[in-house]
Amino acid sequence: MKKIMIIFMLLFLATFLSASSATALEGSFKVGPAIILISILVLFVLVGIFFRAKDTTDFYAAGRGISRVGSGMAIASNWMSAASFLGMAALMYGSGYHGLAFVVGWTGGYVLLLILMAGQIRKYGKYTAPDFIGDRYYSTSLRAISAIVAILISVSYCVGQFGGIGLMFKWVLGIDYTLAVIIGSSVVLAYTLISGMLGVTKNMQIQYVIIIISFIIPLFIMTFKFDYFWMVPQIGYGAVVTDIIQGEAAFKATDLVNNFGHKFAIIASPEYAMPWDPATGKTFFQWMAITFSLMLGTAGLPHVIQRFYVVPKARDARWSVVWGLFFISILYWSAPVFAAFGKILSSSPEVGALAKDAIVVYTAQLGDIHPLVVGLLAAGGVSAAFSTVSGLLVAGASAFSHDLYFKVINPKASPQTQLKMARLATILMTIIVMGIAMLKLALIAQLVALAFSLAACTIFPLFLLGIWWSGSNKKGAIAGLAVGGLVTIISLTYFVSGKYGIKLPAHEFVTYWLGAWYFAWIGAPLAILTNIIVSLMTEETPYEIRKFLVEEVHS
Amino acid sequence: MKKEKDYRISFFKPTTEFSRKNRNLVLILVSIWAVAIFGFQILLRVMQKPTPEKSLITFEEVWDNVEMGKASDGEKIKFANSVLSVLGKSILLSAPEKKEVLSNAFSWVVYDLVNDADKGMLQKEITMFEKKKKSILTLNDKEYIAAKDKIIGEIAPVLKLNKNSLKAKLIPLELRADLMKNFSKENKTKIKGIMSLYLTHNQSVLTDTIFLGFPFHYFYTAIFLLVLFVALCWVYCFIIDRMHSESGIKNS
Repeated sequence: MKKIMIIFMLLFLATFLSASSATALEGSFKVGPAIILISILVLFVLVGIFFRAKDTTDFYAAGRGISRVGSGMAIASNWMSAASFLGMAALMYGSGYHGLAFVVGWTGGYVLLLILMAGQIRKYGKYTAPDFIGDRYYSTSLRAISAIVAILISVSYCVGQFGGIGLMFKWVLGIDYTLAVIIGSSVVLAYTLISGMLGVTKNMQIQYVIIIISFIIPLFIMTFKFDYFWMVPQIGYGAVVTDIIQGEAAFKATDLVNNFGHKFAIIASPEYAMPWDPATGKTFFQWMAITFSLMLGTAGLPHVIQRFYVVPKARDARWSVVWGLFFISILYWSAPVFAAFGKILSSSPEVGALAKDAIVVYTAQLGDIHPLVVGLLAAGGVSAAFSTVSGLLVAGASAFSHDLYFKVINPKASPQTQLKMARLATILMTIIVMGIAMLKLALIAQLVALAFSLAACTIFPLFLLGIWWSGSNKKGAIAGLAVGGLVTIISLTYFVSGKYGIKLPAHEFVTYWLGAWYFAWIGAPLAILTNIIVSLMTEETPYEIRKFLVEEVHS
Repeated sequence: MKKEKDYRISFFKPTTEFSRKNRNLVLILVSIWAVAIFGFQILLRVMQKPTPEKSLITFEEVWDNVEMGKASDGEKIKFANSVLSVLGKSILLSAPEKKEVLSNAFSWVVYDLVNDADKGMLQKEITMFEKKKKSILTLNDKEYIAAKDKIIGEIAPVLKLNKNSLKAKLIPLELRADLMKNFSKENKTKIKGIMSLYLTHNQSVLTDTIFLGFPFHYFYTAIFLLVLFVALCWVYCFIIDRMHSESGIKNS
């Protein structure tokens, strides 16, 4: 491991010595950033090889030998995707206060996850989310359905990440988006296959450090350079927000400019910070619905739940959430800083409309930060996407090989065959996701938020009731899942038809109240309610399951 | 049968002392969590008042006269400045049809304000600038910068603007040669709604109070809530560990 770190440091030093000073927002091949990106990717693969999986237990759950802080870092790294690193600043840059619904939604859900589920999930002692559902609801069909849902969630989530990887590779290498997606996908596939989750977990810890360092360094530079309180940029940017609201008069008469020579100032823009401002087209209801849906989705994402299986004890599972949330919050306190500076630095009409998903990198460029630091930032964005994608691929592969193949199709499969199936599933998923990502169907954050609502309507109710109410039975679970699935299908049908210009009955009404990013606000409560009603009307949960819940899960 | 009843679990009907304590702890923490997140946003919603920016008040003062063609030069200058304060907002980039209406209003009123003898020259100059803007490879192009500065130098005094101000810098970028001669009837009917949309904001004492440099509501949502989430998680783990040790529950 030390050798790997030394190689990495030497590569990093070499990139600083060969610093390039030319910076353009798009188009050209960027030497320094490219070397940084390649160095980091080589490091990931080396770490993956060094900590490679030896058997199925390693592949699925990293041998259950990861410490609390380490697991917290892995949770954070696993969580901090391209949507957090790139998409969140994009949302705030475009919609102001509305974007904070995603900040709150993507962090507040961890409170629910911890106090309602983390310890109990670990105590239940299963490897995957479908494993838990199939066992708790004593149903092979439910296991298979939930495995398919888990794969769909992983695919939806991955598409957004692959889009982010493509965007950053395109920016750094100056290549075509499609080729960028192919290269990025190939590297993710290579090291996920080589390492499994053990390597992935170690990688995640390293990735977390890279993500945070690359994200925070530009903030110190920008707050210092533009004369704000730089010692804690996450507080210092408060004055930036206030200056945006007050406009030109608030800016000091200095020669501060962006890299195009535009004065560092902005016309008064209170719409940036005021709640559900009419100019943004976003409403109070949407803010609340998005926050609620993202929070429930957090507690229902299979790849997030699965992380609790890699800690040795239930107590460690709980504390790893605390650490994980703290590590995540560091990034979430920082993302709005990029949006605020980006707003001022790109305020001149001469800059034009920028691709929102790349605003983090553009902001650093417009702030005239050294190209290598911007390159490191882009590499951090790729790391964020990689760390999440690897976890998602493992979760999806586990759902396929363990829950569908081993538990349903071929119960006699040897561990070696299971591992082969997991790797085959990883390859298949990568190819499918890569194909969809090339179509550029939606923004990163949109695809990711969709995955959250899907998880909140399907997996979350099954876990919540499965853990806390022994009365929830197989028929109730199937009915609840059907209702959650129906709401999902309605929302997505209207969304997709709208994309292709097809107007369905009550189109405006449905797309507003059942928006594709927040349909879980109603879908999840309906699924829970249905589960309860049907469970009360049908035969009781078997004695063995109830006994297990009492004696093992809640003891 | 009696044994089976012993194995029923419900969050709301705890059967042991530990479960009861755990339920109470969860309920307290979830209540704090829910009130802190949703309660505050509801409070924000209840307290908010649609508050106009100064530019909107100025616009409304002069709009009737501008619309009826009775506006004085002073009123037209006020009108131009208020329109420019919306044209300078970057959020308008995502609404090109609204920007078109405002560009029409601004270009028309500037054209109207310059001397009759200079009108033709101005239109020609803007046409040339638009062509130049499309052809440049870099924003540092000297001819482009010179053309821009010339327009600012000519129009900023007409609008009583400081040449170095942000609004003055916007002038050459927002003037449209094809929209100068006529402020269309259709655009006249739209402009009031557009100005109101971009210059009215939901404000209250919670948004106007500054805390650590932030508008208070922004600080609360972007910073404080995340601190609260970590704190709630920490408190839960700490208390549950203590409860486990008091009850003799092992965490293996």
